This record gives sequence, C-alpha cells and structure tokens, in this order.
Amino acid sequence: MNWLKRLFARRRLYGDLSEEIRAHLDERAEELVSGGMPREEAAAAARREFGNVGLIEEDSRTVWRWPSVENFIRDIRYALRMLIKNPGFTAVAVTALALGIGVNTGIYTIVNGALSWDMGLDNRDRIIWVTATNAAHSEDWETSYPDFRDFRSQTKSLAGLGAYTFAPVNLSDSTGLPERYYSVQMSANGFAVVGQKPLLGRDFVAADEQPGAPAVLIIAYHVWRDRYASDPAIIGKSVRVDEIPRVVIGVMPPDRRFPEETDLWTPLMPDAALEKRDNRGLALFGRLRDGIGLATARAEFTALSGNLAAQYPNTNKDVTTEVRPIEQITGLYFMKPLILAIFGAVGFVLLIACADVANMLLARATERSREISIRVAIGAGRIPIIRQLLVESVVLSVTGGLLGCLVAVGGLRWFDSGMGTMEKPTWLHLSLDRSALLYLAAISVGVGILFGLAPALQLAKADANAALKEGGGHGVVGNKLGLRLSRVLVGIQMALCVVLLVGAGLMIHGAVNMYSTPIGVNTKNVLTMRINLPEAKYPTPQSWIAFHESLNKRLAALPGVELASIASNMPLGGWIPFSLEFDGRSNDAAQLPEVGCLVVGNNYFQTMQVEPRRGRLFADADGVAGPPVVVVNESFAAKYWPGEEPLGKRIRVRDENLPGAWLTVVGVVPDVLQNFRQTLELDPLIYVPFAEKPQRQTFLVARTGVPPASLSDPFRREVQRMDDNLAVYEVRTLENRIAESRLGVSLFGALYSVFAGVATLLAAVGLYAVIAHSVNQRRREIGLRMALGATRRDIMRLVLAQGIKPLVPGLAVGLLLALGVKRALPAAIVGVSSGDPMTFIAAIFVLLSAALLGCVVPARRAMRVDPMIALRCE
Amino acid sequence: MNKNEQRDLFPGALEMMVLRTLKRQPLHGYALVQHIKRNSDDLLQIEEGSLYPALQRLLKEGLVKAKWGTSSTNRRVRIYELTPAGAKHLEREVSRFERMLEGITRVLSPSES
Repeated sequence: MNWLKRLFARRRLYGDLSEEIRAHLDERAEELVSGGMPREEAAAAARREFGNVGLIEEDSRTVWRWPSVENFIRDIRYALRMLIKNPGFTAVAVTALALGIGVNTGIYTIVNGALSWDMGLDNRDRIIWVTATNAAHSEDWETSYPDFRDFRSQTKSLAGLGAYTFAPVNLSDSTGLPERYYSVQMSANGFAVVGQKPLLGRDFVAADEQPGAPAVLIIAYHVWRDRYASDPAIIGKSVRVDEIPRVVIGVMPPDRRFPEETDLWTPLMPDAALEKRDNRGLALFGRLRDGIGLATARAEFTALSGNLAAQYPNTNKDVTTEVRPIEQITGLYFMKPLILAIFGAVGFVLLIACADVANMLLARATERSREISIRVAIGAGRIPIIRQLLVESVVLSVTGGLLGCLVAVGGLRWFDSGMGTMEKPTWLHLSLDRSALLYLAAISVGVGILFGLAPALQLAKADANAALKEGGGHGVVGNKLGLRLSRVLVGIQMALCVVLLVGAGLMIHGAVNMYSTPIGVNTKNVLTMRINLPEAKYPTPQSWIAFHESLNKRLAALPGVELASIASNMPLGGWIPFSLEFDGRSNDAAQLPEVGCLVVGNNYFQTMQVEPRRGRLFADADGVAGPPVVVVNESFAAKYWPGEEPLGKRIRVRDENLPGAWLTVVGVVPDVLQNFRQTLELDPLIYVPFAEKPQRQTFLVARTGVPPASLSDPFRREVQRMDDNLAVYEVRTLENRIAESRLGVSLFGALYSVFAGVATLLAAVGLYAVIAHSVNQRRREIGLRMALGATRRDIMRLVLAQGIKPLVPGLAVGLLLALGVKRALPAAIVGVSSGDPMTFIAAIFVLLSAALLGCVVPARRAMRVDPMIALRCE
Repeated sequence: MNKNEQRDLFPGALEMMVLRTLKRQPLHGYALVQHIKRNSDDLLQIEEGSLYPALQRLLKEGLVKAKWGTSSTNRRVRIYELTPAGAKHLEREVSRFERMLEGITRVLSPSES
C-alpha cells in the first residue's frame, strides 16, 4: 500500500515545499540586503530571480501526482462549483440539454429497435425475397406455384427457395374460445431455407405437402405459451383450423415468427387452383449460396424468368422477377422513412439545445474573460484552461443527460400508453436497453464537447494584459467574433426550427383535416366485430346467407340492440375492388374501370344512419326477390354519370372474368370515408346487397341503445351458440376502430408537434440569452443614447432590430429545407395539398412570435436603463 | 512564462548537475543553486525556482533524500543528500553525456572531415 502512504504523506510534502521555497527567497533577499540593497527591493529581486513562485510550486507538486486523473477530478470539482454559483444559467442550460438528450435517447430506442430488428433470422443478410413484376403494368406481383417449382429446380445461386402465402384462420379446440390467428401456408422446406428449427416437435418434411398427407400445424411460441400454457403435450394433439382437424407437430422458439408476426404455419399444398400459372399468390424467399451476392442471384432470376416468358407466353409474357433483401417484405420497411424523419427531428431539437447552451456560454465568456485572464497572467497554460472549460461544459451536459434519462423513460411510457390496446410490432422496444444507455452516455459527453469547444477556444485566447488593463466589466475577449458566432448560432437555430415547425404544421394540419372531415356515418353507439365462415363447414354462399339471417335475428333480439347488420368493410376500412360494366357502353374487357364495392346487409344504411340523397335505400326483399338492385354514392354518380339521372341506370360487376346480373341503381347515398390509405379521399363506390354477392368474411355491426362495449360478451355468446368453433375477432366499438386506424397519424403528429414545440421554446430561450447579454454589454451605449435624447421607443427598436437581424437568413434557409422535408413526409401527411402556404405562414408566425418574446423581455430591460447610473457605473 | 523556456539546456541536464553537486556534499536548495551558478561561471542561465521541481523528481525516484536541518544563516532548511542509487544514476548519466558530447564534438570539429 505504498501509494496509500504516499497519498497521506503528500499534504506534509506540500507544506515542506512551500516552507523550503520561502526559506530560499528569504535567504536570497538577505544576501542582497547585506550587499547594500534596500529591503523591499531585495525581496522583489529575489522573487524575480526565482521565477513564478506559484507555477514552480505547482510544477513541483505535480511530480507527486497522477496528473491526468487528479487534474480531471479537480476540474470537475471546480466545474460543479461554477455551476452552483450560477443557478439560473445552470437551470436553463441543464433543462435545455435534458430535453434535447432525453427525446433523442427515447427516439433512438425506437429507431435502434427498428434498424437492428433481424426478423428473428440469424442470417438475415443471406435471405432474399424474390418478387415478380409485370412490366406492362409496372405492378408488383407475386408468383404462381408452377413458376415457384421451376425456379426451385433451376436456381444455382440459391441454397434453397421457399414460398408462402398469408391465410388468416380460425383456430378452435377444447381449451378455450375459438380465436382468429395470423397464419402462413409455407412450402415444407421453408424453415430449413431460413435456417430455423422448432423448439419442440419436428419441422415440416416433404411428405407433409403431398396430396392426401395428414394435415399438420406448427405453432408460434407465444401461441403455445398463451393458449396452451406451455404444455409440451400439445405435440401430437389435434386442433381445428378453419374447421379442418390438424395435428400440431411443432412449436417454434420465441421470437421466431417468419416472415413477420406469424402465429401458425401450415404446409403449402399445391391444389388445382394453385397449379394455374396465372394464379400469382405466393411470396418467394431464398438463401443465397455461400459466396454468392445479391447481384448474381438477380441476374440468374432475370434469366430464369426470361425462359419462362418464352416458354409460357400466355401467362408469363411481361413478367420479370426481382431479387431483393428479405427485410423489404416487412411492414417495417415502409415505416422506416417516417421513423427516420422523427429521428431527424429530434436530432434538430438536440442541435438547437446545443446552440442554446453554446450561446449562453459565449455570453458568459465575456464575463469570465477576466477570471481567465487573471489565471493566464499568473501562469496557467492554455491547454489546461481549455481542458477545464471543456470539463465544465461536459459536466453541464452530463447533468443534462442524467435528467434526460428521466425524460426518455417518461416519453417512452407516454408513447406506450398512447398506443393503447394496439398490438405492438415485434421490433418495437419501449424501454431503455444497454445500447440506448450507451447512446445516452455518448451524446451526453459528445454534445458537451460540441457546444463547449467554441466558447472554450475563444476564452483561451484571452489576452492577459488587455483584460487587466480594461478593468473587466465589458467585452475583453474576441468580442466581435463571439457576437458573430452567436448570431450564426441563432440563425442556425431558426433554420432548424422552421423545418420542425413546418413538419409539425403539416402533420397537425393533416390531423385537423382528418378529424374535422365527417366520416359520413354516425359512429356513436356502434359495436363492430368480424367473423369468417370456414369453407369446411360453410361451403356454399347459400349457407353464408342462411347463417347471417339467423344470426342477425338473434343479435337484433338482444336487449340494448336497436339495429344489427353486416358489411364487407367498415368506414376507413377499404372496399372490395371489382371491374364494372355499364349498360349501353362498349365495355371493352381490357379497359373496364375498377371500382370499390361494399357488400352490405339490407338494413346497413339504417344501422349506420345514412340517409339517401336520391331514390331509396335497400328493402328487405332486395337481393332475394325482384330485379337485382344497387345503390351508388354521390362521387360515383358524379364521376360516371355527370349531369345525368343515375336512378334507373344499370351496371354489372365482373367477378373472375364472368359478368354478373345487371343491377339497377335505386338510390344515391352521400359519400362515406372508406379509403384506408389516403384517409380523406372520397372514392366512387357502389353498394350491393349481401344476398346478391355473399361474402365469407364479414363485419357484424349493431347500433345500440346502451354503451356498445357492454354488448361485446352477449354478441360473442350469440355467435358461439350458433357455432361454438367460430372465432369472433376484432370486437370493438366503431369509434375505437376509427381511432385506431388514425392512430399512426395522430401519434406521429403529436410526437412531431411536441418536438417542434420544445424546439421553438429552446430557440426563443437562445435568442433571449443572446439579446439579454448584448443589452447588458451595451448598457453604457444605451445610457449614452438616452442621455443624448433617444426615446425608450428608439431603444426598443434598436434592440429588436438587433434580435430580428439573424432571423432573416435563418428563416430563409429553414424554409428551403422545409420544402425538402415536406417531400420526405408524404405518407404521414393526409389531406394536405402539395402547395400548402398556410402551414408555412403559420410556422413563420409561430417562430416570429417566439423570437419576439425572446427579444422583448431584454428590450424592456434596456428601456429601463437609467442613463445616469449606466454612465456612472465603472 | 517564457523565462521558463530556457531553464533546461536539455532534459535531464539540471538533474545531472544537481546530483554531481550533491556528490561532493549535502546542500540545501539555495546553496545548491548558488553553487551551480558559481561553478558554471554564470555561463548557464538557471532560473532559481526551476531547481525545485527537479529536486522533487529526484526525491520521488529515490536518487536523493532530504532531511530538515539548519543553514549557515541559521534558517530551518531542507538538506539534500545523494543516495547510493543516485550515485549510480549520476555515473551512468555522466558517461552517457560524455559519449554524446564526444559525438557532437567530432561532428562539429572542422579538422577531421
């Protein structure tokens, strides 16, 4: 423990040293005195010959230290003292940094989750997606089973090629209520291709996909855990999948849900329908052979699809294939730009916070230049001063980072609760993990150096003589340079702020548009749910009609239910596309318009409280007896029969290339928002009675006289009474359903707005700091001006002009950047036309108001300057 | 500040002279400076203060030791004394220095070349 002893001995050592040096000086002085020099002069001469006493003592002590560590600790202690001495400055700076660092860490957590998600694959880089494109229509297509089989037998660049198709199913068994699951039909080699094995039981084998093979099923880990209580005896048990008994042969490990969010897998069995070369319903995925790159595979598949086109021109003439990284198949891939836009936004917030603190430090630099000059004058080196100033700013930013950690945790909680009951995607992590904490630590230290460097370098230039001569008080160090730097920083803040405000403005504008546009139905007191009648039990359309007829009677009879009906789609939930023929037009088969169609129960409009604009709604007999009828919406009438009477016109739909019966238009209803993508678009739509075009998959809707959610269980019970293997899913009120479909826009809009608000606040504070400081600096000048007759108004104008000046270029640059941002955000912005000057004007208005606020406070202080006092002080 | 820049002729020179001086007799700081100055005929510009960091370095490395005593002017002073390790170090340093000096001299002398 030698070093420990030394540590204790050190204090004595230092005392010895001081005493020794004092003795040296005394001895020298005495010698000079005895040589005839006056005493005072001798003492000074002795010091002169000795050199800088403080510095030499310091150097001598340094010998005994672990220099870097100890200097560092001393710097930190000094920094903490400085921060405590200026509580106002510290509070503002730490708050700004906590906000900036906090939102960054929070969003980083989400971004990192999104970017590092490996889809549950250990070798995601080697897995590819093969997609088909129809060159004639430039549409993305999928692949047919015969094409898949040919590719699989011919490919040399892939070590394996698999295929899957989505097929949501009902699962029922003796353990609980039937449930709807996200299921995938996959070629038996699928898991082998992506290199995964079941946790329990066995993988699919080639025999499982042969015609006549026993029906089998592999389940995902969470289904095993939640539905079967992790019972290993599930292997070998039989369950009903869409009414077909299947034996569970395997359970996948946790987080293995290839391709994405899958609950169940069944083997893909080629039947007569799949064997058609123009039935393109399969997504293909493969693993690159070792040493083979994407480009090689791409070239090979271009050649292979070229061969197929030559061999089967009828079906494959314009079909080409494209090989892409597997991640492009996921929903996340399409969300990435939005997530990155948010990350960019919080990056801006952090930069603005940094500029704020840098500006405050620059302002303080003037005040501290005297302190620094004195330290230089008594022998402090430049590097130690810079180091110490940097330590000060890093201490500041790390304090901000610690608080920012709380901001991040709180923000993520808020986001979590904002998502409500929505199922969270696998990649979304809402708690700070190790990499988020590392990121937090890195940016905390990083921004401290970033915003501290300029002020530190500037201060370290301090000229000892100038500082001491001028008597401090006002600008000593590179004042002009500092001021210019401040202005540039303010300009940058303004530019970043404009970008954020315009982004937030567009999103808010979109959200306001969205919420202020009427949906077209009365959404209050409506309960909705879905059912899907499996083929094994309900083979014919007649059976669907019969089922719904009796279910409808049961539901309508429940106490609290006013009206019950069915529909193929809910408002904001899309439609079924059909090709349409018009009576009395040429109807060229290749050019038929594709129109959205809703198949609805006869009392659907009454249930949703939609009144006809012209003609009538459906009557009980429609679709059952009498001539077939159809109801169209106003957009449809306006688009296809402009200026004509729509009532009595006839149309028919083509389904699978066969024309249906002619339908006579009996009514026109107002537009209802049905589009699920561009949620404010009013599409031309037709409504067909359920009995006319029965559907396997439907929504049940009911208008209730009691709170709709209270009827969820009675509804389920009625369905269960009719068929206890039938899954009822997505049971929720219409209001909740609509809120959920708009959640993305409102959540991201809210996030962006919060960030823009914080940024604006920070920018105003930054401007305030600069102006307040400059007013402080110019007190004398202002006093002089007032003494010479300037009015308070003049002074106000002077200060405001100074504040506004750096805004102009900042605004200009910001607006240009914002135009670019606008282009990057289209998916998130609904219903905002491409030229949206209002948002830009609003953004500028908000920013100028904030900036004005930042200027007015110090300007008022300037107005109150008493010329006498200002001139006299100093 | 800038006076310090010429305190050392080259790194270690001051230490070597201190050790050499202490080899003759133990001395306290002030006497040590006077001795070096006098013996160099004031050819070397030594800032007096620069002696102390050098002494601390030597102390730390155990090449000298110090004890409190009384000076000729009856002051309480710290008297430095060479340790055996210091003596060995001095020997090594001096021979290294002599070799270096010889090398430099040969290069500089105009006669041979």
